[in-house]
Amino acid sequence: MAETVVETKVETSLGTPWNVVVHDDPVNLMSYVTMVFQRVFGFSKQKAQHHMLEVHHKGRSILWSGARERAEFYVQQLHGYLLLATLERAE
Amino acid sequence: MLIRRLKENAIELIDIEPIEAELLRQVPGVCDSGGDDQSEARLFSSPADSSENQFLNDWAEYVRPELRHLFLSARKTVKEDLEKLSDIPGRLGRLVIPRTHSDAWLNALNQARLILATKFNFSARELSTHAAPKWFSRRDLVLQQINFYAEIQERIIDATEE
Repeated sequence: MAETVVETKVETSLGTPWNVVVHDDPVNLMSYVTMVFQRVFGFSKQKAQHHMLEVHHKGRSILWSGARERAEFYVQQLHGYLLLATLERAE
Repeated sequence: MLIRRLKENAIELIDIEPIEAELLRQVPGVCDSGGDDQSEARLFSSPADSSENQFLNDWAEYVRPELRHLFLSARKTVKEDLEKLSDIPGRLGRLVIPRTHSDAWLNALNQARLILATKFNFSARELSTHAAPKWFSRRDLVLQQINFYAEIQERIIDATEE
């Protein structure tokens, strides 16, 4: 007889938000970084360029804040494009 | 060399000089870090600080192999495309890249540039300098190679956005 397994998923989105941070890297091209932000986060070109320039001038930019699981997903996507991205607990 | 969009489904590289063809053929090989610790650390950078112990362990076990597979797959695609590069002595080369391969090219070119920049320890200032050196050491030639790959990345991005 088939056994029914009931999984309980802990809702983490109500907890502390997490930031997805991208750090400056002298190798990655500005146009490439802009393109990646558009693809991963669905940003407009203008918004993607704003974050790209923030990374370039300030050394880092917070691209997204929210639930941990989603933040981990975004960080993984960014690493796939070889960007320097980290997950940080929001202050 | 000219890089342009070819209809809807491809990117065409034409008038490829022999030296450009040689540099293109080096891309898959350059992407192989050869186990160099610093290059590996750059390709697989840390996704969090050391306080996220469990996350870092899970990342190393599950995500890192996926990333390695992605990077190897990009290199393989580029290598296979390069086998179709027409290379008749005395003539300029031509290469057609299916548009579905453009991400693999951007990824592999990025791998190559990151590894070269790491191995030869280029500073941000050096990487943004395009002035020709007075004499060409191996390091200067590598910087030219990095910039050549950067220009191809720019043209592929342009071609995919057209």
